[in-house]
Amino acid sequence: MKKKLLAVGLSALMMMSMAACDTGNGKQSSGDEEQITLRMAWWGSQTRHDRTVQVIEMYEKEHPNVKIEYEFFSFDDYFTKLKTLVASDNVWDVFQLGGNFPEYMDKIEFLNSYIDSGIVDHSKISDAYLKITQDTEGNQIGLSNGLNTYGIAYDVDMFKAAGVPTPTENWTWDDFANAARKIKAATGHYGSSGFTSSEFIAGCSTYVAQQGAVGEYGFFNLELTGMGFKDPQMLTPYIQMRADLIKEGASPDAGAEMEITNIENDFLVTGEAGMTWVAVNQFPTIYDVCAQEGRTLALATVPRYKADGPAGTVIMSSQMLCVSKDSKHKEEAAKFISWFQNSVDCNNVLQGERGIPINSDVLAALQQNATEGQKLMYNYVDLVGSFPTPEKINVLSPAGQDQVVDQYRNFVQQVATGSITAKEAAQKTYDAAQAIFSK
Amino acid sequence: MDKSALSLKVDSQKFLHRNEFVGHVFAAPFVFGFICFSLIPILTSLYYSLTNYSMMTKGQPDFIGIKNYLNLFQDEIFVKSIGVTLKYVFISVPLKLAFALFVAYLLTRKSRLVTLYRSLYYIPSLVGGSVAVTLVWKQLFARKGLFNALMVNLGLDAINWFGDKNLALYPLVLMSVWQFGSSMIIFAAGLKEIPESYYEAARIDGGNGLQIFLRITLPCLSPIILYNLIMQTISAFMAFTQAYIITGGGPDNGTMMYALYVYLHAIKYGNMGYACAMSWFMLVIMSIITLIIFKTSKAWVFTEAD
Repeated sequence: MKKKLLAVGLSALMMMSMAACDTGNGKQSSGDEEQITLRMAWWGSQTRHDRTVQVIEMYEKEHPNVKIEYEFFSFDDYFTKLKTLVASDNVWDVFQLGGNFPEYMDKIEFLNSYIDSGIVDHSKISDAYLKITQDTEGNQIGLSNGLNTYGIAYDVDMFKAAGVPTPTENWTWDDFANAARKIKAATGHYGSSGFTSSEFIAGCSTYVAQQGAVGEYGFFNLELTGMGFKDPQMLTPYIQMRADLIKEGASPDAGAEMEITNIENDFLVTGEAGMTWVAVNQFPTIYDVCAQEGRTLALATVPRYKADGPAGTVIMSSQMLCVSKDSKHKEEAAKFISWFQNSVDCNNVLQGERGIPINSDVLAALQQNATEGQKLMYNYVDLVGSFPTPEKINVLSPAGQDQVVDQYRNFVQQVATGSITAKEAAQKTYDAAQAIFSK
Repeated sequence: MDKSALSLKVDSQKFLHRNEFVGHVFAAPFVFGFICFSLIPILTSLYYSLTNYSMMTKGQPDFIGIKNYLNLFQDEIFVKSIGVTLKYVFISVPLKLAFALFVAYLLTRKSRLVTLYRSLYYIPSLVGGSVAVTLVWKQLFARKGLFNALMVNLGLDAINWFGDKNLALYPLVLMSVWQFGSSMIIFAAGLKEIPESYYEAARIDGGNGLQIFLRITLPCLSPIILYNLIMQTISAFMAFTQAYIITGGGPDNGTMMYALYVYLHAIKYGNMGYACAMSWFMLVIMSIITLIIFKTSKAWVFTEAD
């Protein structure tokens, strides 16, 4: 009796798995109005998670045949997960990428044909804004979530308390370091908060671009096939400054930096620092948080190498939504992306949290009811946009940059503890970066 | 029903009625799991360690021979991570075992509450590997965490635990020691096995507590100590969560555990082949150390036969 039961059980199990295969096949062959599920993921702050979930629910209501399964992560965890999905050929239908997309090129479905066929609506998006998410061959990698640039958010009152003049649009790294030291001395707080993942691009690599004439140098060359500068010692003063600030307690050390997990618990936001790095799309959120606690934040440009030298910063795409090659419903995914960028209702919820919208109608609608923090952001982006920029820019990151960034941060720590000099650190950083091209 | 179908039925019934059948069925999930999720990945990783495989690139990886293994020794961080891991193992394992034995010894006395205490002390081992507890630990030792608040209240200077490359490892060691529960349970079971008559004899001969512990408890417990030593050493080599979440390997790679570095190369830096080579090298180190423990054990482990 027992054995019979077992045999019945086993065969039932087999039938069930066969049935499961059946439904899998059936799904692909049936018609348009059939129920489909899109998988989507992004990284970001809690504000972004809340707003994105809200618009996903809006979309599902408008399109009853589409169900969207979403996942969200912090920046690092997002890419960990994405890399495992790339390896298993199972990338989300709709996924978010930034300037590091070249590494994932194999998995990106170009949107050109969807734009041509009208599935992706670009009537209100200028060609220039379409271009910011194209590669050099004109392949449309994704649709940009918005424009963005780096800046320094600072606490106005802390500057006042320390007797530091507020930053001008062409303040220098020396001014920056002085401000950080004075804030530390006057308030006991960090002058400048942790330089986490964006510091390498916004600080170290911008520092290279600020030297020489506009567009003369870049950290990597435009083709991302090698370095964009020859003398490693160009990095030395910057590394020295970073290390000095850490040593003097005007900037968090490695341990304190680990306490910052995203922009919402950055030391500037918790009131323990006078300045921090931001990608400006993050600014309105932290502005609001601090305003609730009675503190006022403002945006300053990235300090310069020389007051009359190049700014080194450029306007770029913050992130974009891409359709994956693994997707079974590429058209539906493209439709969603189009809606995400073009729907005024959707963007009224998103509030430009991913960057300044590229759709002119959407932007106009948002600017009408802009909050104080958003106004500062819009003005700031206009300001940076007015700086002279090189004719050709490449804001992308070559594959392997993650390792360079980790090594670089480690070298800075070693300089701060005195185990190597800034000169050695500059040379080592240069060598580490060059090594990714000789693999 | 024709003849062949009938014989098939008979055959399958014969098979079903054989005594081993149920055993095979019950073992099947494990065998399946072991082959698919352990054996095949292990062998695959050996192959990958000889290639430049990256999860990012599609298609066949290039076979590059033992280049990955040669590169290991030119990698400063790799060499450092071995040092850090060995330091972690050599400090945390003895401390953990000593503490486990101490608590187990305390809990051998006959009291109703012993079971309760044992359960309480076991809890850290149940939850210890979890991310949540690791985050709590991170908070405890943070710049303005509980420990520093206590220090300041006692009039001492706050200690920057995770900012100092020489100190950062110790909170992680402490966290490992705190998870002494599973060794403690095994020690407690071992202590119960020691015949009461040995102790009586010793007491009659006038032995004091320390003498009894050193001359009777420790030798009788030595096989258990050996077991715990090996298990804990192996698991300490694989420590990952604490370093990944609390310190991220920093400062200045002062807490760059071996497993963390393997992870970074495999996932973050896209050098799966290199990471596989590291894992295999790790296997060699662990085997050597385990072998040394086994070989030396003949000198200090007593069995009933001795």
